Parts: sequence; structure tokens; C-alpha cells
Amino acid sequence: MAWEDGGFREADGGRSGAGLQASVLLESRPATACLSPAAGMFEDSAARGADVESLWRRDQGTRCEAKSCQTGEISTVEAAVQSHSSRDAGMQTNQSEETIQNLDLQKEAPVDYAGLLSFLQGVEDVVIKELNKNWRSHAFDGFEVNWVDQNETVSCLHSLSYPEAQDQKLQVTSISWNATGSVFACSYGRLTLFISAWSSHCLCSVDPLSSTGGLYSGEVLIWDMSRIEDPLIWRTGMTDDTHTEPVYQVNWLQDSKHSYHFQILSVSTDGKILVWQTQRDGQLMLVEGFALVAQQIPWSMKLKKRTRGETAVGVTSLSFSCFDPSVFIIGLEGGYSLKCSTAVETAAVPRTGNSVPLKAPAEFAFSPHGGPVYCVSCSPFHRNLFLSGGTDGHVHLHSMLQAQPLISLQLSKKYLFSVRWSPVRPLVFAAATGEGEVQLFDFGKSSQKPAVSIKQASAQTPVYCIEFNFKQPQLLAAGDASGMLKIWQLSSDFIQQGPREMNHLEQLANEVTD
Amino acid sequence: RMRFAGGGAAPLPPPPALPLPAALPAEVEETLKRIQAHKGVIGTIVVNAEGIPIRTTLDNSTTVQYAGLLHQLTMKARSTVRDIDPQNDLTFLRIRSKKHEIMVAPDKEYLLIVIQNPCE
Repeated sequence: MAWEDGGFREADGGRSGAGLQASVLLESRPATACLSPAAGMFEDSAARGADVESLWRRDQGTRCEAKSCQTGEISTVEAAVQSHSSRDAGMQTNQSEETIQNLDLQKEAPVDYAGLLSFLQGVEDVVIKELNKNWRSHAFDGFEVNWVDQNETVSCLHSLSYPEAQDQKLQVTSISWNATGSVFACSYGRLTLFISAWSSHCLCSVDPLSSTGGLYSGEVLIWDMSRIEDPLIWRTGMTDDTHTEPVYQVNWLQDSKHSYHFQILSVSTDGKILVWQTQRDGQLMLVEGFALVAQQIPWSMKLKKRTRGETAVGVTSLSFSCFDPSVFIIGLEGGYSLKCSTAVETAAVPRTGNSVPLKAPAEFAFSPHGGPVYCVSCSPFHRNLFLSGGTDGHVHLHSMLQAQPLISLQLSKKYLFSVRWSPVRPLVFAAATGEGEVQLFDFGKSSQKPAVSIKQASAQTPVYCIEFNFKQPQLLAAGDASGMLKIWQLSSDFIQQGPREMNHLEQLANEVTD
Repeated sequence: RMRFAGGGAAPLPPPPALPLPAALPAEVEETLKRIQAHKGVIGTIVVNAEGIPIRTTLDNSTTVQYAGLLHQLTMKARSTVRDIDPQNDLTFLRIRSKKHEIMVAPDKEYLLIVIQNPCE
């Protein structure tokens, strides 16, 4: 390295470490202007400073390298998917046999009794405490929830009449709903004298399409509504077996042996109750029958009036018990109601000229009305209760266990033609009066006057028949003497059973005095 | 009605000593009989964790119906309680209807269903 003044120094290079390397060089040079040439030997001189250079950075720089890095580019792709079509499918497991088998399997499989026992012991106290509290609680007394809209009034849905019948001034004598509740049939005829002669038909239908009817002449017929040309398919014809007096009521009976065969039961004022079976040739054949003869009826000691002899007793109405299919109640022209059974063996006296021997079915007689009984109806909710109504305008609530009625109500000053229990409310029944009214009575509300009184026709036109629709319990059909048929829609309190009605009914039935 | 499990309850009494294994089925039947004999009880059903009834006093079809439906309802009730408060859990379920009251006592492995007719 050379300095500017011409001096030169020695540089020691190449030695690593932290030490400084210095190189100092003494210079000798002649002094310049500051000194006089004549001075001689001593002169001022200033030595230049010494410089030390650091070398370590340079060394480090030679050893290290600067580097950088960058991640490669991430490649992305966008894609979308859309379904074009979809389908709904549902599945439902069948609850029937598999689960029942599971139940059996589980009973045989080893149950972890220890675990089960500890669980039961743990919950037993809690559950028993809740059961006791619930039994004593009055928290829900009178608490009712309305899940459906309440309909407050009774209204007339339809008013129907048959023009030809109206031309002949015929009256509606009987109505019946079919089994599905969608169709009803009614019969027209004329009542000439109220007491002695009912005319024309009475009807009953169980199959959606076929219905049976009984004639004034004593015949029983079956029609099939699906046939347009000639709907009449079976008839009894005028044989020795047929009734000799008007048929008041017909019922379908299910044959206990073959459930698809039906039999017809007909009731007539000639004192006979006959059971018919359909035959192939369109004929109805008598299979079984009952005859009521005065001397065979068991009159109880309390009844004052007794008829003697072998006179036939006219039957005007019949009702089977809903709980015991062999028990039925009949109403007589003499004003009595009788409890009868189909399972009797005693033959009727005298032996009439019928192809099948007739039996005497009467088992018990109830205390009479003041006139002929026109209607009886067994309660669908209690096995012992039934209603009877007659020309004295009274309705009697009877228990089958005693002769005296439990309750006797006067509903009309004229006759009562039909009485029916409600199919959904155990305490409600409907009655058709001679004053043109249908009265709905509720034992739970008042035992003196009707809950609702529906005016069907004028006071001179009696209502002859009423029927509830079992499938749609808010509908009530009523037919009257002017040939008009009206379908009434009942208010909501006649449709739903109240919380304690069954108890009330049981209490009523238990008021039997010994 | 749901009962809330409270924190800081009194210490539980020691569990009763379990009877001998041979007598277990009889003990189970006796406990169920005691519950069934209570006033107004119409039926008692014990259901396992899968919803299959293992003990019942009603007929098969009714039992299967009650067991299946109430098992689902109990699970739903339990998840409702726990969704509202995860620290909480279902202890008892009661359903009151027009005709009777159904009580369900739930557990991890079993379900006890009691149907009572609270006749006033």
C-alpha cells in the first residue's frame, strides 16, 4: 500500500483471529516547508495515526452465503356440481309380527337381573310418590283442552225429500245409515192410525250397498243398491213362515259360525221374531224364530196387570245388547218391555205351523208404560242400561237388573216414536216426539229438561224416526210425517266424551234398589 | 313436569345390599307387583335401552306400542332438557291425557312406564 506522501508500509495480511493487525511504519523523510533549512538536526514531525482495520467481517462474508427461497405456486381449480333430478322414497317398517317375536325372544334371553333390580329399587320410591300424589291431586279437576274448533250450535245440513213420495203425501217411516256412514236410506209409507197400523217399510242396512226392509204385508226383502235394474235380490215370499202382520223392525245379524254370512231378524206385531237366511234362489229361508205368548212371559210380582191365555203378544221394537250378543230387549204393544235371550231352549206354545220350531225367549218383564212401547235402545256404554219410549210420551231409563225404571221422564205430551242413544256420549240420547221436535237429553246436565230441542217441523207433524251416524257422530238424521228428511249437524259438546261421563253413567246404573 | 337435578344435594344413603343371585328374578317381580298394586294403576312396562319391552303387565300389542312411542318421546324430552341447559338432565316424564296419566322414569339402561287412571 502506498501512502500519498510517498512512504510505504508493510501490511501483515492473512492472519485470522480477532487480533488487530497493525502495521506501523516509521517513516523517515525529509521535513518540508515548516522547517528552515538552516535548522539543523532537530525537527518536528508528526507521525500519522495508525489504522487498524477489522477483518472479521470480511472473513465472515467469505464464509456465508445469502440465500432466499420461495414456495412453489399452489395450483387451484374451481368446480361446481348440481343434481338434475331427485326422487322421494319412503319406507315404513311393519309393526306386526317381528316385534312380537322380539318380545318373546327377550323374555327367554338372559336379562341382567342385578342391573334391572338396582334400577327398579332406585325408581320405585319416586314412582310410588308420584302415583300417590296423582291419586289425591285436584289440579286437573274440570280442566279441558280444546283441540278442535268448537261448534256451538245445532244446524240443519241438508233437507231432503223425494218428489214422488211427496206427491202421494207419504211419510218417512224409517231411516238407516249404512256401515260407512256415507249413505242413508229411508222408507216412505203412510201411517193411517197411530196405534194399530204402521204401513210400508222399515229399514236397516249394514253393508254399504245392500239393505233390507220389512213390508206392511209381513214380507221381508233385501235390496242391492249397486244393481240399477232390479235391486230386489231376496224376499221371503208369502209362505206359512212369513209374518201375518206388519213388520216393524228388521236387523242384520252376523252369523256366529260363518262371519261372512248375514242373517236378517224381523219383528212383527203377530208376536213373532224370525231369523231368515239368504238362499240361492232369491228366497229367504227361516232358520230360527221366537214367539211371544202371554202365558210364557215371566211377569214379576210387582206388576199388577196380567194378561192370561195363549194370546200372541205384538212386538213393536227390538234392540240387541252391545255387550252380549245373545241378549236383546223387546218392546210390546201392551206397554211392557221384556228382556230376552237367544240362548233359550223352551219351545213356544202353541205349536204354530212353522217349518222351524219357535222358542219362547222372554226372561224378565219390566214395568209398563201407559201405552204401547214404540222404541227400545240398549246403551252402547253400559251393559245393563236401556231406554224405552212409547205413546205415553215418557222415556224410561231401565237397568236390566230391576223391573222399575231408574228414571222416568216426560218428554212430550204426544207420542214418542223413536229413542236412540248417542254413539259417543254415554249420557246423551235423542228422542223423536209427536210435536215435530227432536230432543237431545243429557243426563249429565239436567235430569228434567232436554239439553237441546230441535224443531224439525210444525207442531202437527210428528217426527217418526231418528238415527245417529256412527262414523260421523256429529250427524243426526230425522224423518217426519211431511216426507222431509233432515240431517242435523250437532254442536261440539255432543261429539266428545267428557272426562267423567262413564263414572256418572256407572253411578246412574248402580242406583238399583233391592 | 321436569325435575331439575340440583347441585349440592344431601349425601345419598348407601345402596342396599343386593340379594343373592338366585333370588333376583323374584325380587324384580315383587317390586313390579308393588307398583302395579297401587291405586288406579292400569299397567306397568319395563323397557331396555333399545326400546324393547322386557317386562309388562299389558297385552303384547299394547305393550309394543307404548314401549316404542314412549322410548322415542323420552329421548326427545331428554335432549330438549339438555339443549336448554347442558348441565341439566331429565329425571321424570309425565303425560296427562283425558283418560289417564302416563309416567316414565328414565335411566341409562332401562325405562319404567306406569299408566294410571287418576279417578277422582
